[in-house]
Amino acid sequence: MFDVHEMEINFGPQHPSTHGVLRVLLRVDGERIIDAKPIIGYLHRGTEKLFEHMAYPQCVPHTDRMDYVASATNNLGFVEAVEKILGVTKLIPRRAQILRVILSELQRISSHLLWLATHAIDIGAMTPFFYCFREREQILDFFEMYCGARLTLNCMRIGGMPEDVPHGWLDDIEAFCGKFDAAVDEYESLLTTNRIWKRRTVGIGVLSPEEAIEWGITGPPLRGSGVEWDLRRAQPYEIYPELEFDIPVGRNGDTYDRYLVRMAEMRQSNRILKQCIPLIKQTPVGDLKAKISKVIRPPEGEVYHSIEAPKGELGYYIVSDGKTQNAYRCHVRPPSFVNLQALPALARGHLVSDLVALIGTIDIVLGEVDR
Amino acid sequence: MQVEYRKEKLSDKYLVLDLLEGLKTTLRELFKPKVTIRYPEERMEPTDRFRGMFKFSYDRCIACKLCAVACPIDIIYIDVHDDIVEEGGKKKKVKVLDRYDIDVKRCMFCSLCEEACPTKPKSIWLTTKTYELATYDRNDLYFNMQELEYWDDRPKYTGLPEDDTKQIEGQKQISGGVE
Amino acid sequence: MNHAFSHYLFWPLIKFLVAFVIVQGLVAAMNWIERRLLGLFQARLGPNRVGYKGLLQIIADPVKFLLKEDIVPASAEKVAYFLGPMLPLIPAFIVFCLIPFGPPPTFTVTRVNVGLLLILALTSTGVYGIILGGWASNNKYSLMGGLRSAAQMVSYEVPFGLSIVGVLMICGSLDLVTIVRYQEINAWNFLPQIVACFIFLVSMNAENNRTPFDLPEAESELVAGYHTEYSAMKFAFFMLAEFSMMIVNSCLIVTLFFGGWTLGMFGIGLTTDVLKGMGMFGGILGTLIFVTKVMLFMLMYVWFRATFPRFRFDQLMDLGWKWMIPLALGNIVVTGLFILAGQERLLYWIGIGAIGLAALYLFKPKRAESRKVIHAS
Repeated sequence: MFDVHEMEINFGPQHPSTHGVLRVLLRVDGERIIDAKPIIGYLHRGTEKLFEHMAYPQCVPHTDRMDYVASATNNLGFVEAVEKILGVTKLIPRRAQILRVILSELQRISSHLLWLATHAIDIGAMTPFFYCFREREQILDFFEMYCGARLTLNCMRIGGMPEDVPHGWLDDIEAFCGKFDAAVDEYESLLTTNRIWKRRTVGIGVLSPEEAIEWGITGPPLRGSGVEWDLRRAQPYEIYPELEFDIPVGRNGDTYDRYLVRMAEMRQSNRILKQCIPLIKQTPVGDLKAKISKVIRPPEGEVYHSIEAPKGELGYYIVSDGKTQNAYRCHVRPPSFVNLQALPALARGHLVSDLVALIGTIDIVLGEVDR
Repeated sequence: MQVEYRKEKLSDKYLVLDLLEGLKTTLRELFKPKVTIRYPEERMEPTDRFRGMFKFSYDRCIACKLCAVACPIDIIYIDVHDDIVEEGGKKKKVKVLDRYDIDVKRCMFCSLCEEACPTKPKSIWLTTKTYELATYDRNDLYFNMQELEYWDDRPKYTGLPEDDTKQIEGQKQISGGVE
Repeated sequence: MNHAFSHYLFWPLIKFLVAFVIVQGLVAAMNWIERRLLGLFQARLGPNRVGYKGLLQIIADPVKFLLKEDIVPASAEKVAYFLGPMLPLIPAFIVFCLIPFGPPPTFTVTRVNVGLLLILALTSTGVYGIILGGWASNNKYSLMGGLRSAAQMVSYEVPFGLSIVGVLMICGSLDLVTIVRYQEINAWNFLPQIVACFIFLVSMNAENNRTPFDLPEAESELVAGYHTEYSAMKFAFFMLAEFSMMIVNSCLIVTLFFGGWTLGMFGIGLTTDVLKGMGMFGGILGTLIFVTKVMLFMLMYVWFRATFPRFRFDQLMDLGWKWMIPLALGNIVVTGLFILAGQERLLYWIGIGAIGLAALYLFKPKRAESRKVIHAS
């Protein structure tokens, strides 16, 4: 069964570098990894079962807690899926749509900042952590100004948005966008050309495009391998067709490429924000909710709707039986769960020290993986 | 759009400029102001819409139970009974609120109850800017109707324990918890 | 007999004790400096609760270590377990006898004519304690961590030693005082030997297990390192030994490459003769200059820790064996050729050139148009 030199080690659920309670069962030969098996389920809370017992509007705060780092996009996916099954996607007021995009892009920047902070500190660079969190605090302050909470936002409602923008919020965001590019330059000066960083990330965890598509990987890992697929362009939603932005794509599919892709995505999100602010200022203040009944009872049917969350394709599959106010079944397709499947393939042949870099580069949040 | 791969210049490689660039950044950061908020002497003031602790107004509440229905976790416990009240000569049937309890330790502060409340201004609201709710006893976090309306305002922090805790009848002190 | 007693035993003992106390004070201060400065680099305040700006942390930490429960694993090898933390301390303390803090003869404890060789030999014995500590813990991962750390320290001893050879060739003596005297007459040694200075810096960091070479100490690795099974005071000894070795290495680099206690080059400035001319005050001034320079290098340790990511272990060994050693050997060859040709002064241009070019590139104002504008406004 075991070779004489092989050892089975538990990269346990409690470890400073696995983001959350991820357990990886490693088979190592000295220091080389022969097999890495992720074992999940330590954070399973039965979210999908809970959805079957709650009315649709009550489910929205629970979707926050799946990917707790990027909760606005979780809300957005669910809300859009329910709107799709109700058939009211075209009735959402424009102001609500622009506001949704603003919140999503702010959330994307915030999620990528957290990714950079934890990835850098796993590899050993301590300072980007604090610099990223300084910017992230400002974004969390924006969220607090808008909806009242910093992390689990509950900021979207079925049919629109709960409330309008507070006074001065848009100007504050504009000021932030002006300074954010310089902040990303600062992080890049610490890491991108640094030879130590490059040695730790170039050539580690190479994922070929065919493999990525076979595994069903989406998001920055897919784009880092060279496949230009982004749901904001491929299956546009909200007002993304009107906005100008690029999809950054890598070439080699290693950790360095995924790092570059995410840094470029932050800049592109900043670009989107800079376009959205004048757009929402021009839209007249008006209704923020579509004219749908307060009691949400969708007709019988099923729908699968997915959006581009910061970590990949976040999908909601809702089956409604037409009679009750709850979903009959609501299944979530979390990006981190599907991306995590690539970990054994990526880790084979690398050293144990690379495992932390790999877990960081796939960017998993255990709340999403386990639900 | 292909990501930008910075070409490695010879000067970068041999003069160790990439590492020096990083050193320059951290040195510049050394002289910038720091962002630490020294709690509890300095306190981060929440915004106006911050979802904190509940406050309840018995007078405005019409006992419609919409908040209890809207709550995803069902932590609002409401008991009403119908009563006949004499008003201007005519008998009216009103709902009298018997019990309005909230189990705050299980609340996720999603404010769906606040949104569901039909009265203007709302009878239950979370914008109290209070987030320091820690107590020493779990049962202190079960608020009944009286306590929800009359709990003491935000605790005042001087960094020192309060020796004289003024106790008003029926008023509940929130946190700071010196027993 | 009396003269021999006071000259060879009494005064050196006093001077050693003074130096020892000052250095241990520096080590204690370094604990606070590192945490505070690391915080300041990282846009946060370091410890600021315990005293004014956290200064009482210096006292709080040793008190904590003394009061902690000293857990000894049941199956640990007792003698080796207790010896493990003590052994790195011994060379760290002894070496302070050999380093000149100020103008001789008052401010050097002893003056050995092969001082540098003795220092190298003593610092190399620091590895022994780590191996013992890792092995005696009876913990598979401790052992692996200890062996890794030992391998790292041993492999960086070689560039450490080789980079000094260039300095020796120029200065012509192993005596540290002579090296400093040489530097005040000609330029400080980091100019002609800039490559050796760089290699020495890198080896210094690797010897002390500091970032970017702190893999054995990193928390995010599987193996927690040789000091896993040590608690309370024994752990404190390891930390003490690490900081003391940092100070020793900083003193070495200041003495060998940056002019020791003098502030002069080419005979101008605060040279030894000028300082001696000022009597006792000059001596103290020289010591202060030395201590300032050493503290600057300690700050540099913290600066490196705040900035750089960590090397992987095989990359670390690659760097040591494949890059540092050939570079050091090349440096020796080039220096030797120049000395043979009698044109030592030409070496200065290499140093000045390298520093000038680096400064030029670093502080070049970025032209606005050169950045590719990829976003609409």
